[in-house]
Amino acid sequence: MMSNWLTAAVCAAALVTVPMAAHAQDIVIAIGSEPTTLDPHAADDGGEKAVNDNVYETLMTRDADGNLDLGLAADWPMQIDPTTWEFTLRPGIRFHNGEPLNAEAVVFSVERMIDPDLNSEQLSYYSTLAGAEAVDELTVRILTSGPDPILPARMYYFMIAPPGASTHEDFAEAPVGTGPYRFVSWDRGSEIVLEANPDYWGDVPAIDGVTYRFIEESGTRLSALLAGEVDLITNLLPEFMEQVPQAASQRGLEHPIVILNADDGVTADVRVRQALNYAIDKEAMAAVLFEGAAQVEQGQLLGPTYFGFNPAITAYPYDPELARTLLEDAGALGEEITLVSTAGRWLKDREVTEVVAGFWQAAGMDVDVQIYEFDEYLTRLFDRETRAEAIFVVSGNELLDADRSFSAYYSMDGFGASNSFTELRDWIDQARTETDLPRRQALYHEAVAFAHEQAIMAWLLNINNIWGMSARLQWQPRVDGKMFVSTMSVTE
Amino acid sequence: MSRFVVHRLWQGVIVVFCVVVVVFVLTRLIGDPVRVMLPLEATADQRALFEAQLGLDRPIWEQFLVFVGDAVALDFGDSLWQRRPAMEIIAERLPATLILTFSAIGLAVVVAVPLGILAALKPEGLFDRVVVLVSLIGLSVPQFWLGLLFIVLFAVQLGWLPTSGRGGVEHVILPALTLAIPAMTRIIMVVRSTMMDELNRQYVKTLRAKGLLEWQVVGVHALRNAAVPVLTLCGWELIRALSGYTVVVETVFAWPGLGLTAIQAIERQDLILLQAIVFVTAIIVVAVNLILDIVYKAIDPRIELKAA
Amino acid sequence: MSQDVDLPAASTVEPVKVEPAADGLRAEAPLAERRAESIWSELLADIPGLLGAVFLAALVIVALFAPWIAPHDPAAQNIILRLRPPVWMDGGSWAHILGTDHLGRDVLSRILHGSRISLLVGLGTVALAGGFGVLIGLIAGYAGGRTDAFIVAVVDIQIAFPGLLLALMILAVVGPSTMTVIVVLALNGWMVYTRITRSIVLGLRHTAYVEAAEMVGCRPGRVLWRHLLPNLASPLLTLATLEFARIVLAEAALSFLGLGVQPPATSWGLDVAQGKDYMFRAWWLVTFPGIAIALTVLAINLVASWSRVTSDPLEREKRFARRIIGSPGLRARMLAKGPS
Repeated sequence: MMSNWLTAAVCAAALVTVPMAAHAQDIVIAIGSEPTTLDPHAADDGGEKAVNDNVYETLMTRDADGNLDLGLAADWPMQIDPTTWEFTLRPGIRFHNGEPLNAEAVVFSVERMIDPDLNSEQLSYYSTLAGAEAVDELTVRILTSGPDPILPARMYYFMIAPPGASTHEDFAEAPVGTGPYRFVSWDRGSEIVLEANPDYWGDVPAIDGVTYRFIEESGTRLSALLAGEVDLITNLLPEFMEQVPQAASQRGLEHPIVILNADDGVTADVRVRQALNYAIDKEAMAAVLFEGAAQVEQGQLLGPTYFGFNPAITAYPYDPELARTLLEDAGALGEEITLVSTAGRWLKDREVTEVVAGFWQAAGMDVDVQIYEFDEYLTRLFDRETRAEAIFVVSGNELLDADRSFSAYYSMDGFGASNSFTELRDWIDQARTETDLPRRQALYHEAVAFAHEQAIMAWLLNINNIWGMSARLQWQPRVDGKMFVSTMSVTE
Repeated sequence: MSRFVVHRLWQGVIVVFCVVVVVFVLTRLIGDPVRVMLPLEATADQRALFEAQLGLDRPIWEQFLVFVGDAVALDFGDSLWQRRPAMEIIAERLPATLILTFSAIGLAVVVAVPLGILAALKPEGLFDRVVVLVSLIGLSVPQFWLGLLFIVLFAVQLGWLPTSGRGGVEHVILPALTLAIPAMTRIIMVVRSTMMDELNRQYVKTLRAKGLLEWQVVGVHALRNAAVPVLTLCGWELIRALSGYTVVVETVFAWPGLGLTAIQAIERQDLILLQAIVFVTAIIVVAVNLILDIVYKAIDPRIELKAA
Repeated sequence: MSQDVDLPAASTVEPVKVEPAADGLRAEAPLAERRAESIWSELLADIPGLLGAVFLAALVIVALFAPWIAPHDPAAQNIILRLRPPVWMDGGSWAHILGTDHLGRDVLSRILHGSRISLLVGLGTVALAGGFGVLIGLIAGYAGGRTDAFIVAVVDIQIAFPGLLLALMILAVVGPSTMTVIVVLALNGWMVYTRITRSIVLGLRHTAYVEAAEMVGCRPGRVLWRHLLPNLASPLLTLATLEFARIVLAEAALSFLGLGVQPPATSWGLDVAQGKDYMFRAWWLVTFPGIAIALTVLAINLVASWSRVTSDPLEREKRFARRIIGSPGLRARMLAKGPS
């Protein structure tokens, strides 16, 4: 009886026609978590970013493919000495409350971000930020503690706040920016409403108003989309791309990998590490587990548009025979290998882990899968003394620059690295402060090739972000996953 | 009466104190909030600073005294997750839970009492059997599953009601119904059996013999005598729902109440918020208990002073 | 958890009826046999109760022999064969009668194995909470005085606790597992047993035959064993059955919230939680485990409502009376024989 209902419901869901919302130019977006604050500088929080990306603006921006472009900056920044970058601002821009956007606002924002009292969760993105000084009304210099070649890329995330409004007590609840949308209301636990900014300096957006709803459960978000209550949902499971009125899938920033221990255990032998790469059928994983909404990671923990990407290096092909031969040569057939992972933290983390284990088992290893609760899992990830042979992790890289991923997972000093290759660390350290771009690029190319040859990890996939959309919404998603409402429109 | 209230009040204070002790013991057993809350790249200094902020570096007895003091002052500090006072978050979320609970119990009573009475009129009759069977089924279906079914049926397929979240009256209906069903079935059972007992009593026969209309006999006299056990049960249903039984329904329907907040706090290892929720819930439960006791006593003075 | 069949306050709502243990003093074999016979015939007469009992018996067999009955290893995955529908739908096959889940695991095998967790947690909790609760209740009722007052106070305080939230907190702190679930649910449930046991013992202590037994010098252990326990047996059995139904639902709900049984172990509640994300693509993932939970709890409730009627003399008389009124043939026979 119940199953009939459900069957009927599934059919109905597939055929569902989406009723139009009350105002044709207002849309509703369902996001996975409510912002903890709307202070643009305090939290490292996806919900906050989803909203504030439309309220605030940054000096630099990116196009949909991830190429750096000009934002509030009128011209490309100049590096006037190794630790100083000079930006000029577009003239005549005002914050929603009328304060002018000028050098003072940028200086204020920088100082606010690095103020120890704010204790910002975002500081890890701006670790080199040392201060700022105004040159004139529209020229500002940003100072770094050491040479920082990727400061412009960092500025893509750095929101500029008005000095006046941000000292108000309610600034964290009522944001004031320069962006195409301005804040209207925040009903805690239920929704945040923004409306188009009629005085916006750029093109006036097509959507008049946007309401954000917070729905944690992905199944509930999907129900809301199918019932026509919302226009856009985040993190749609690949399985439902057929069911929703429209689905948009775009290469994202998440790279699931398995760190292999090059120092200890059966994986200390490079042949074993290579074999473990050859043993995994990445294409099948992308096709079946992610239903096509994932790309095979090209053996370097970088997407093709990231700085440092080495086009000469490609993924280890799926070659189970070669894997077996290599394991045999290394005398590792039937040896035990421990694979540590967690569940529920990243998209299909458990599934990916189990599938990897299955491939390794098939290649002739005795795989012991240990899935821990996140807290416990972190203990094992941080413990450099006794590391498992294999640890599953998902690396995200918002700066689209090799430094962030490599410092964490390639360099022997990184928290997620399981190797002692001093040369690899030295290249990465040099590149971090190398301001000559071709030389920096070359250092990363070398690091990528070396790490690939040494198989310091099993590179798996680059997962797509998937959005579910109502039939009327027109939008092209972006590689960085940002949902700029100004780039959306609705038909009718 | 006042002795009774004082006694119950005192008992309530003891209950709340015990909850505080249990919560304290539990939170100090947990793994390591410091590690979970800070980003992966945090330095040892940042960790130490954070530990000091939470007061985890002080001796345990000192931590306990501070904890009890905070509880008395209703101030548990800032939620780790939202970085603002935990009590502020609770103040925002509590109304949602109260609305959901009262609508659900109200709905349960309104539906269950007439059904229970009608079933009792003809014991073992067709209607009675159907009511009993349906009640048993209602009691047996897991709530989270029922909620999912309602969403699929009434929200997605028929499009009558919203799928989730809080808004107008239409948003309350599905979660309240889901929460109400088990309570409803229990109330039906009790109304039915007490009414059957009452209708078998001598006074009912006398009244009928006197020529009173059946609805007067049943609806006025028998019902009045059956009121106390039924009211007691309704009170218990209310307390039970308030004491955390809304968690499942709030999770399924993304209803932003205390229960959902508790689950979110657990997922984010936000112990400060979680302990504040447990504490506030304990106070509410004790308070509602006290109010109900006074109400019962007002209705029926025969109730023992020191109700068990 | 959200649907207790009987709440802790049940004892205040429905006062426990004490059946004087007429045969407690002289438990002779023929009488016991006759009793068993009449229970059997009453069960046969109660069709829903009988169906419930049969279902439960089948469930126990399935749980005991799950590894031999289940067609597949419940944890064996095959991502190529994921999200296959049940056999009667397009794309289904006899290899996976109820289809496969998002990891390509066999749904039927998972349900068969899931019965083990439900029964294990149910029995474990009832045994733990019941054993502890009855013991404490006996002590309270028998010792009286300060001990009794103390126990009553503890029970009162714990009943006023926001039990579910504390349970969630314990699970969050200690870490969820099958064992923790049992302990947490038992911590939340022992008070009911204590209350009922205590009230029955108090009621019996001053009956003539217990006082007589004490006077002739019976040791307390003997009094408890021979005179009190037989009277406790049937109300406690009913309570335990109802609690069992509550626990099965509670375990499913905890697992659904992610705070109960942890993968790779299987549980019906966990399966519903995992299948929920695929609800609109693979309805069978939430439907079948949900039905399994509902049927199991319904079966327990049917047995409980039958046994409540059977073990409660007042209820039994009422039913007997109704049956006589309802059936002329039976009435005639009864009149001829006289009520037993």
